[in-house]
Amino acid sequence: MAQPHHRTRSPLSAAIATVLLLISVVGAFWVPFYNRPTPKLGDFPFFYWYQLIWMPVTMVLCYLAFLLIRRPPEPAGAAAAPAGGPDATLSPDGGETK
Amino acid sequence: MTHINWVSFTIVLVLFIVVTGVGFAAARWRRAEDLMHLDEWGLGGRGFGTFITWFLLGGDLYTAYTFIAVPALVYGTGAGGFYALSYTIMVFPIVLVFAPRLWSIARVHGYITPADFVRGRYGSRGLSVAIAVTGILATMPYIALQLVGIQAVLIVLGLGGNDVPLIIAFLVLAAYTLLAGLRAPALIAFIKDTLVYVMVIVAIIYIPTRLGGWGHIFSTAGTHLKATNPKTGKPFGSLYLSSASEWAFASLALGSALALFMYPHAITGLFAAKRRDVIRRNMSMLPLYSIVLGLIALLGYMALATPAVRAGVKAGGSNAQLSVPLLFENMFPSWFAGFGYAAIVIGALVPASIMSIAAANLFTRNIYMDLFRRDASPAHQTRVAQLISFIVKAGALVFVLALPKTFSINLQLLGGIWILQTFPAIVAGLYTRWFHRWALVIAWAAAMVYGTIQAWRTPAPGQPGSHFGASTAPVFGHVIYIAIAAFVLNLAVAIIVTLIFRALRVPDGPDETQPQQYLANPAGRPTMPVPAAATAAAGTGTGAEPPPIS
Repeated sequence: MAQPHHRTRSPLSAAIATVLLLISVVGAFWVPFYNRPTPKLGDFPFFYWYQLIWMPVTMVLCYLAFLLIRRPPEPAGAAAAPAGGPDATLSPDGGETK
Repeated sequence: MTHINWVSFTIVLVLFIVVTGVGFAAARWRRAEDLMHLDEWGLGGRGFGTFITWFLLGGDLYTAYTFIAVPALVYGTGAGGFYALSYTIMVFPIVLVFAPRLWSIARVHGYITPADFVRGRYGSRGLSVAIAVTGILATMPYIALQLVGIQAVLIVLGLGGNDVPLIIAFLVLAAYTLLAGLRAPALIAFIKDTLVYVMVIVAIIYIPTRLGGWGHIFSTAGTHLKATNPKTGKPFGSLYLSSASEWAFASLALGSALALFMYPHAITGLFAAKRRDVIRRNMSMLPLYSIVLGLIALLGYMALATPAVRAGVKAGGSNAQLSVPLLFENMFPSWFAGFGYAAIVIGALVPASIMSIAAANLFTRNIYMDLFRRDASPAHQTRVAQLISFIVKAGALVFVLALPKTFSINLQLLGGIWILQTFPAIVAGLYTRWFHRWALVIAWAAAMVYGTIQAWRTPAPGQPGSHFGASTAPVFGHVIYIAIAAFVLNLAVAIIVTLIFRALRVPDGPDETQPQQYLANPAGRPTMPVPAAATAAAGTGTGAEPPPIS
């Protein structure tokens, strides 16, 4: 069987990623907080611009979480990847060889 | 609405013909050596990168019915319709957590459907058949509603009294889906999404200038929502939620977010991705479509602020689903209105095609093969799936043409409740084997029965004694989404029955998966499913994620 801790992704970054993702979910789920007309942004009541603004915020949070939990760059020894990042080396038909 | 607008109609027709050509040409796109394999026909060769997957999932998840129904809900009730926004804020962070594991295990074992995974994980065909049946039942009315979306456009185009355009559209769709499989909607999604983005950006910039600005739109919509609904004796709605409906709003959003990636068509889109990172990267890019959805929801208020639309909706039998097509008709020159209609029609074709493929995959793999022909060859499987994809679409067409539209809408409402009940078996299964297979079956059945009865007992507002009137019902003092109540019941029963079965030492089924396979990151196209032992050994390699399987 595999070693129990074959992933060396630090528990800290996994925890931070989880928190980042939770922020979006809580922000959308906490309806009483944003179910109100003010403060307005331009002509938009709070209820509406609050929800719309979460979309780009969620994109950023998800991307940060993705960076945190992504496979860390391969150590020098495993650099079968001659150029580019961890996935830039694939031939279209999947010839990643290690 | 009785005379045909020829300019709009011509634009829709031309774009439809273009899409048809693309659909048939897709059979040659990224051509496989052998298309008669379910990996090829049903999952596009599992070779879609970040870019294609983004268009495919966007075109798949944001359906034409959404584009019609969400603004219709906003038009009819106001703030309540915006649960769709809250839902699409939550969905991608939630899915980002478990989708990569589902993708990895499916790639390692060659699973084509979520029920394939459940059978492999729990060694229980009973459970996998339950998951497959739920998926098919939830998908069929969803396909029918795509047709309802097309119908709304046809009515405004002046073709409402005639079923022939709808039948032709679906025959054409069935033909290229049968020929090209998932490649057809994947390629057409590029056109669909481009049309939708252009349509929404123009609408959101241009229409407010015609209506005197956003301030005027909100205040006029607010005034009309305050008017008394003769059916209920209460206002139609409001720009804000009543404090009593905040629970309903939040639970609808959460329940829908948990359910979305349980739908077979969503999982088909996931499994077609080339690499694990494609999934994760997409979850941070897909909210861009949610912005579009938010803007489309606002079209409901614009429609409410346009007197001609209000008159048109009333003339159409108080059918709020006409509000967006009518808004285009009244605000845009005919040629651009035609462009917007085409976005909706093509927007219906992409998900309808993927849904029929997903339902066909489920039927073929988890009902036909598991129960009748376990030794079906890949070519045989593909032929069965092609036939089923046709039957599923034909069934949806009959549904829409022969039965009252409310029937499809009720079933779609039920479908949302049902599909969430597959969440414990699929998602919990990605992390733990603690749940007993039969406990999951019993819990699933209990939740399905409860959810169905609860939905049946819920009357429409102002019509006591009617059925399937709303997706929310009072549970323990709060009005909440029925799917969430059923989901809690599902989990509780699963836990209790598992404890009982463990105490009685009821045997578990065999588990063909290995822990590190859930993190596997194989590159490129799969060949054959890799024997479990080989991948287990490979998992001990590097310090980071296990090395690619290939």
